Amino acid sequence: MAQNQAGQSNARLKQPWLPRWVRVAVIGRNPKATLVRVAVLIVTSFVVFKFILLPAHVEGISMLPNYKDRSWNLVNRFAYLWHEPRRGDVVGIRFSRAVTNTSAGIHQAANWLEPPHVMLLKRIVGLPGETVAFVDGHVLINGEVLDEPYEKYACDWNLPPKELGPDEYFVVGDNRSMSWEEHTFGRAQRSQIVGKAIL
Amino acid sequence: MKIVFRIVLVAALVALGIWLWTVLFPNPEKVIRQRLTELARIASFSSNESDLARLAAARSLAGFFSTNVEFQVELPELARRDSMDRNEITQAAFAVRSRAGGLKVKFPDINVTVAPDKQSAVADLTVEANISGERDPMVQEMKFTLQKIDGRWLITRVETVRTLS
Repeated sequence: MAQNQAGQSNARLKQPWLPRWVRVAVIGRNPKATLVRVAVLIVTSFVVFKFILLPAHVEGISMLPNYKDRSWNLVNRFAYLWHEPRRGDVVGIRFSRAVTNTSAGIHQAANWLEPPHVMLLKRIVGLPGETVAFVDGHVLINGEVLDEPYEKYACDWNLPPKELGPDEYFVVGDNRSMSWEEHTFGRAQRSQIVGKAIL
Repeated sequence: MKIVFRIVLVAALVALGIWLWTVLFPNPEKVIRQRLTELARIASFSSNESDLARLAAARSLAGFFSTNVEFQVELPELARRDSMDRNEITQAAFAVRSRAGGLKVKFPDINVTVAPDKQSAVADLTVEANISGERDPMVQEMKFTLQKIDGRWLITRVETVRTLS
């Protein structure tokens, strides 16, 4: 009798805690392989989203209407491995300088393994060596009006020409309806460009 | 087995030695980063701070600076080029803490460059300030110059940096 009871309780203990179909659906037929897959997925996601595709939370209205306030984007740090940034690209620009020039003449490149936590999101309108000006809200590149289909709001900015250096890009937000004093724009060094916004 | 045990023991001793070395003789860059992070923590405050806590925090904040600090700040609502001593910094910090409802300061990206003599350094950083009641944070690139004075890294110069020229 006692043996029979012990046998019943053992049988109860051996009963799976989940129905088989649930286990197969959740952890697969081979739990070890699933564990390896999960580990690989976690490591890959960490590497991708920490160092290559940086998630960016857009805060502010300077890129309206194309990039809305409080929206999410991804900045691809590998976008400019094989070619240089192009006109019209929306790029992430680092705040803290990639290269530090001190009075002692020390130059230190930013650590590639430490991507910036805060970036400016701006559009490239001027390329190295070009002269950029604003006349009645139009961007002039080397004296010619730039066609900007992404700019939707009317603008009346007037700014004198600026000549870009061999390593400089002119960046500006899409929302030019705000006054230029409130808008962060201007020359960015190539080393400040973190990557290209992909969304 | 004995060899394996010895190898593991030697590796553990080497690791312990390296760890002790970093604790006893920390890298100046690491020390500066820690101090700046601590500065951001002390600069942050909530609305329900008592006067005594305000004063203590303001004094503590002034302790991060040298006796005479040069400020070169150019912001849309504030532009000043002058120097302040610790008392003035304490008073200014106390005044800000009394007036503002709350502030959360972070230095998210710190780049430290230490001079070869390891007696001075420059920290380029981003200041992210969330002012209580305001929707968007204030973000500003800044440059701090530090000097090692009596064994402590103190800020001697504070300047704003224009991210885009």
